[in-house]
Amino acid sequence: MATAATGKDIKLGFLTVIEMADRGFMGGLLVTTLTGRPLEFQCTTPVQPNKTQQILYGTTLGPFIKGELIAKTLLERVQIKPVAILVDQLDILGLRNHIETPVAVLKTDDTTGKPNDAEHAKRTHNRNELYALKAFSEDLAIIAEMLKGIPAEADLGEPLYRTNEALRETLKTAA
Amino acid sequence: MEEAQENADLTSQSINLGLNPQILVTGMNSAMARWSSVMLQDVPLLAKPGYVPSWKPMFGKVKTFGVNFPDSVEVLKPKVVEEKKAHEEPPKPKKVENEGEEAADKPKKPARIKPPADAITLEDRLFYMLQPPLNSWFSSQELVMPFEPFPYQYEGIAWLFSQKSAMLADGMGLGKTMQTITAIRLLLRAAQVRRILLVCPKPLIPNWQREFKFWAEEIPITTLEGDTARRNMLWSMDRAPVLLANYEVMVRDLGERPEEDLPKFDLVVLDEAQRIKNRDSRTSDAARSIPRKKSWALTGTPIENRPEEMASLFEFMGVVPERATPDLRQLKLLADVYVLRRTKDLVMKDMPPLLDREALLELSPAQKYAYETAEKHGTMQLDAMGEEITIQHVFELVMRLKQIANYDPVTGESVKLERLVADMEEIAASGEKAILFSQWTKTIDWLAERMPEQFGTLVYHGGVAHKDREPILKKFKEDPKSHLLLMSYGTGAVGLNLQFSHYVFLFDRWWNPAVEDQAINRAHRIGVKKQVICTKFICQGTVEERIDLVLKEKREMFNRVLGDGDDSSKSLSLNASEIFGLFDMKARHKEGVRKIQPKKEVA
Repeated sequence: MATAATGKDIKLGFLTVIEMADRGFMGGLLVTTLTGRPLEFQCTTPVQPNKTQQILYGTTLGPFIKGELIAKTLLERVQIKPVAILVDQLDILGLRNHIETPVAVLKTDDTTGKPNDAEHAKRTHNRNELYALKAFSEDLAIIAEMLKGIPAEADLGEPLYRTNEALRETLKTAA
Repeated sequence: MEEAQENADLTSQSINLGLNPQILVTGMNSAMARWSSVMLQDVPLLAKPGYVPSWKPMFGKVKTFGVNFPDSVEVLKPKVVEEKKAHEEPPKPKKVENEGEEAADKPKKPARIKPPADAITLEDRLFYMLQPPLNSWFSSQELVMPFEPFPYQYEGIAWLFSQKSAMLADGMGLGKTMQTITAIRLLLRAAQVRRILLVCPKPLIPNWQREFKFWAEEIPITTLEGDTARRNMLWSMDRAPVLLANYEVMVRDLGERPEEDLPKFDLVVLDEAQRIKNRDSRTSDAARSIPRKKSWALTGTPIENRPEEMASLFEFMGVVPERATPDLRQLKLLADVYVLRRTKDLVMKDMPPLLDREALLELSPAQKYAYETAEKHGTMQLDAMGEEITIQHVFELVMRLKQIANYDPVTGESVKLERLVADMEEIAASGEKAILFSQWTKTIDWLAERMPEQFGTLVYHGGVAHKDREPILKKFKEDPKSHLLLMSYGTGAVGLNLQFSHYVFLFDRWWNPAVEDQAINRAHRIGVKKQVICTKFICQGTVEERIDLVLKEKREMFNRVLGDGDDSSKSLSLNASEIFGLFDMKARHKEGVRKIQPKKEVA
């Protein structure tokens, strides 16, 4: 079972995946200190599922590509391992099934997917709503404990914005 | 052979199927009317059915790209609250005075760091994009700011942080010092720089020391001073993050050094960078010769006289080739990328106003006599010189007349002094403070001797020893009995923060209104809490009135040509023609007279 890191050991991962109609999925992971200072950033190249994959995976395609294929790869590649991961999409939560690190969705205006009581556990930290897979509901308490060092008025989702912008910049450069 | 063997094994056997076919004449087969006999027989399959998938759930290997950030530099912890209280009346209060409660509740727009235009690689661009917004950085416990910067200051800090070559040319009083110190602080934290050289005019050294202590107390500052051996030792100190030197020391110590012996820096900052406007000067040479990765120039007056002066600054910044002479269009393009300039009018809309007041005074009888006599003799002498007259001769006369307008050297009569004392009585009685500027240290000393004791008059000019200057400013700020500070334009007009004084007197006029503006802006700057009243003494019917008129006309003309926004990028100094024009001078020419004009234009 995961435990809460403290003080300087706390390195948070902010993971997001963007989906583009013509280029598929692309993910980015920003590892920061508790104060938001960047330590490492990793992003993937776009993953474009073919027609057969789209048909045969059906509705599970998104969660598979985001949570397993992209997010897991990013976690493996990053040199500075985060002690907790915050994501902005419910589809990425599946990552938790493959790793030991606590993962939670930080609900923002841009969060995709609708949490439901059957699958997700919820916790409020300051003004932020956090969701985890029901099977890993203890992650929420661990993450909330780690986040105690962040001032209540801080925008917890801000690093996700940076991650998103960095992904778009990377795409622009690669185009 | 094998086939023959197989054929040999085949035997033929006749089987009676019980069919009795009849061929009718009609061609119909009678067998068609009878039910066929059907039998079942097992036929084994040729092979077992296999599962051959035509598709496998496989995705290619996902490739990744990464950016690593350098380790942050360990710094001292912020001081405890008790110690901070000592700073509650800071030398440069930046608290937002005019923000109401509504503004306080409103979430602030994040001040993000943008990649510079010359950042080419993706890694470089991501490095800047992934930095946290400055306001969240500052609000975190990691980086404590004594006061919340203004939004435009956030923008300036973020811009400086990302620039390799930068000219911060904000108008006076907008906080160039604070923005620079904070950007340096962030760069040190992000391990982007480790060794910085900051060069400024000598009188501003204590100011930089004080401001560093206030805005970035964790950064140790090493000032280049002492004898040559000590300075050499300091130049070679690798572990000092910020070295502070004055221009003279920089020229003396580095001007003659061979290239391989020059100390290397990650960042060189030139304060009052107009000092290197002349690219042939030793100061410019010395500044350009220092090996460095980043070059920043700070100036409130990027152009003092001619736009070409900027070329020298751009050369230091490394954005134009050596000896390049960019034309106006190219300068404009370079400025768009490498210069950040905001004026007070644009960013400080809520700042208390500056009230400009002209005190038109009548010379006292003794002054008037002395003035008229000097003018008469002076112009006669100049007239007599005819074609030999030079700008220097006229200049000397102007100076003499200006001095008499200040006070009559024989009788000591001074209408300006009388007016000053009258105004100061009111100011001192209300507990306020005032600063006074004059062109001459002699006038300042003369005034100081005649000021009533209750004004607590202090003197700050070039004749005051450097070690005594800081205590004077401290006393003026902190001593409630000290109401008047007499300063010279040369020493007091730049870099000082005196926004706690709400009255400014210009005892005599400077040649260039930009210098006067700099002087006035010692008081009328960020943090000023109430309106500032500036009184300009002008003696009627004297050369002062004529100088004022010419300067006003010049200002208006430049405003018409360049607009109101950028008021210091203009040539406002009086040129030779204008100085000659202060007097209606004529030379005898054959039988009549002709107007005297300078032989060549002097800017």
